[in-house]
Amino acid sequence: MSCSLDIFFLEAILNGLLLAGLLALLSLGLNLIFGVVDVVWICYAELVMVGMYGVYWAFAVLGLPLPLAIALGVAFTAGAGVLLHMLVISPLLDAPPINQLLATGGVIFVLQALATMAFGVEFRSLGVQLGSFSAGDMFFSWSRVVTLAVAIVAVVALRFFLRRSWLGLAILALSQDRRVMPLMGADAKRLYAITSAIGGGLAGLAGALMAMQFDTYPQIGLQFGPLIFMVCVLGGLGNIVGGLVAAVIIAQFITIGGSCLASEWGYAIAFLFFMVMMFIRPQGVMRAR
Amino acid sequence: MTMTYLRAAAIAAGLTIGAAASAQDIKLGVIYDQTGPFAGGGSVNASIGTQTAIDMINEKGGVEGRKLAPIIVDAQSKVDVAINAAERLLNEDRVDLVMGVYSSAQCVPMAAKVDNAKRFMWANVCISSAVFANRNLQYVFRSQVHSDQYGEASCLFLKENAKARFGVEPKDLKIAVIHEDGPYGTGVAKGNKDTCSKLGLNIVLEEGYAVTATDLSAMISKLRRARPDVILHTGYNPDIALFLRQAKEQGLKWKALIGHGAGYSNIDRIRESAGDDVQYIMDVDPVSAQLLDAKTLAPGLGGVIEEAVKRYKAKTGSEPESNFWMGFNQSWILFTDVLPRAIKQFGGVDPEALRKAALASDIPVGGTVQGYGVKFFGPGAAMSGQNERSSPVIMQHTPQGTKVVWPTAIKTADPVMPLPKGHAYAQ
Repeated sequence: MSCSLDIFFLEAILNGLLLAGLLALLSLGLNLIFGVVDVVWICYAELVMVGMYGVYWAFAVLGLPLPLAIALGVAFTAGAGVLLHMLVISPLLDAPPINQLLATGGVIFVLQALATMAFGVEFRSLGVQLGSFSAGDMFFSWSRVVTLAVAIVAVVALRFFLRRSWLGLAILALSQDRRVMPLMGADAKRLYAITSAIGGGLAGLAGALMAMQFDTYPQIGLQFGPLIFMVCVLGGLGNIVGGLVAAVIIAQFITIGGSCLASEWGYAIAFLFFMVMMFIRPQGVMRAR
Repeated sequence: MTMTYLRAAAIAAGLTIGAAASAQDIKLGVIYDQTGPFAGGGSVNASIGTQTAIDMINEKGGVEGRKLAPIIVDAQSKVDVAINAAERLLNEDRVDLVMGVYSSAQCVPMAAKVDNAKRFMWANVCISSAVFANRNLQYVFRSQVHSDQYGEASCLFLKENAKARFGVEPKDLKIAVIHEDGPYGTGVAKGNKDTCSKLGLNIVLEEGYAVTATDLSAMISKLRRARPDVILHTGYNPDIALFLRQAKEQGLKWKALIGHGAGYSNIDRIRESAGDDVQYIMDVDPVSAQLLDAKTLAPGLGGVIEEAVKRYKAKTGSEPESNFWMGFNQSWILFTDVLPRAIKQFGGVDPEALRKAALASDIPVGGTVQGYGVKFFGPGAAMSGQNERSSPVIMQHTPQGTKVVWPTAIKTADPVMPLPKGHAYAQ
């Protein structure tokens, strides 16, 4: 192991922070869904893929301006989130967790097959490059900087919404007791639908930003899925701020491991750390919701 | 195109595609990745190549009057799926042979399994030398170029051109070797390291990464620290697109980038995300047949190439690239050389007849659509089953189209190195 403590090492660390922004944003919607609905959307990364294709379709096929394409992509994925809840989650709300996992796992294949039918197996690219900026011989990607900023804003906004708005408080209350809240007049179906729309919308938002950084293909969810779940579990499933902290930890393992050893080792070390943490602190670095 | 997508979706859903075969037909188990990252990375194009060869042969009455009946299976870009598919094809569908296979990660274990069962396998695209090296396989054959040759080609090319193009002695040329860490990437990288070191070139960095990596910024920072003149890269897609994107964003510069097949063969896909930044990238690969002068090939092959190009264009709307030709050429060799001999001289298409027929192949240079000849290393040789006459070329993607720049004897243009000023990656 040899870490050269120079400007390039510092660049790697800072790029790790930017990667954390992406991972945090990716985990945000999943954490919300688990925190409120108490169901793990195993197919969450595929919803992100839906968002990426949504933006690609609106921008590259329909020719809409990028901001409008992003808005459409987010709205489309929010709708997909609601549909997922209505068709798959809702009938299984009281089913054993394994049934819920298998059902949402099945959705992975459905979404991948639908994407293959709609867009083929080719890699699709927006062809948009936001470029980068340099500071002291270090270079940083604008798309990653924007993603980090969006992730931070989204975390703060979501916390504010959940703790300061009537609707957010109702969602939080429902997450604490899904049986009692309806007795007090809360429309649980509506609240679940809204939560699923927000969760789906966040997947769409992450997808929109990813579409500017990665080529889109039907199985891209498999590339990111394990990382997303690792971040969520390490942060404490359902804990929104925990997800942000875990994203920083995992991203730094990836980049520092990659800098001091080899790129392939960065991921291996991150997963090893995760496994050790599951023995030491199975509830995550911050307590689960 | 919709039919193509429906077909891909059907295969993705676990269905196999194949027409009902009669007892006289030669049953082929054709394994490619129709879905997953390898599909768009070149496997589908290779599959089209194999299907084109099958169609062309069947339209002429088949092999010795026997039709080719393919059963096409999707390996889904997964090793376990590919292995299970091969076993199912051989034991349940009772195919006469399995062929195809894009990924070396699938090819290495599959070859051992098929050989162990004493069944016949014909590898079309996968290039890892580890498929054959010191395994003394008896029933697995590959006329395709292997990874050691890929690795050697780029180093030989750089040694020949260091002084003339870069103005430095080979020992002063700084080279970085980066690669995906599967059998394909590590195989080519080993060829790079061994040959470049032997030739006295200066390797300043060697680094592997997982093909599923979501971020390559740490590796790129290391490359910036090492400041190589030339980067030798072996990868699939989307990792190549990710590398090019992040390299540009992080200000990585070079004088030349040489890719080694797979993702780099499918340059049009990379162009979608990288645009004109792909200009002057080089690729080590078996040549795209349409780039060769048909007069240098055996009589009749020019017409075969013309027909194959026409069919590929009709199907996809674009020019065929190396993956298509790997799928086509290897299949064409099997159908026009090995199978007829197996039937006529060795009594059929059982594994033993096919093995003997393959070992008797003796096609001189210029006798295949990709230019190289065919003669397999025999039992006991270190690379038993590998074609000893295969050879790659180096192609360069330029604004004037793709040119062959090495070997010097058959080049169609001089290499453009270092990158011209104004190029996004020019130092």
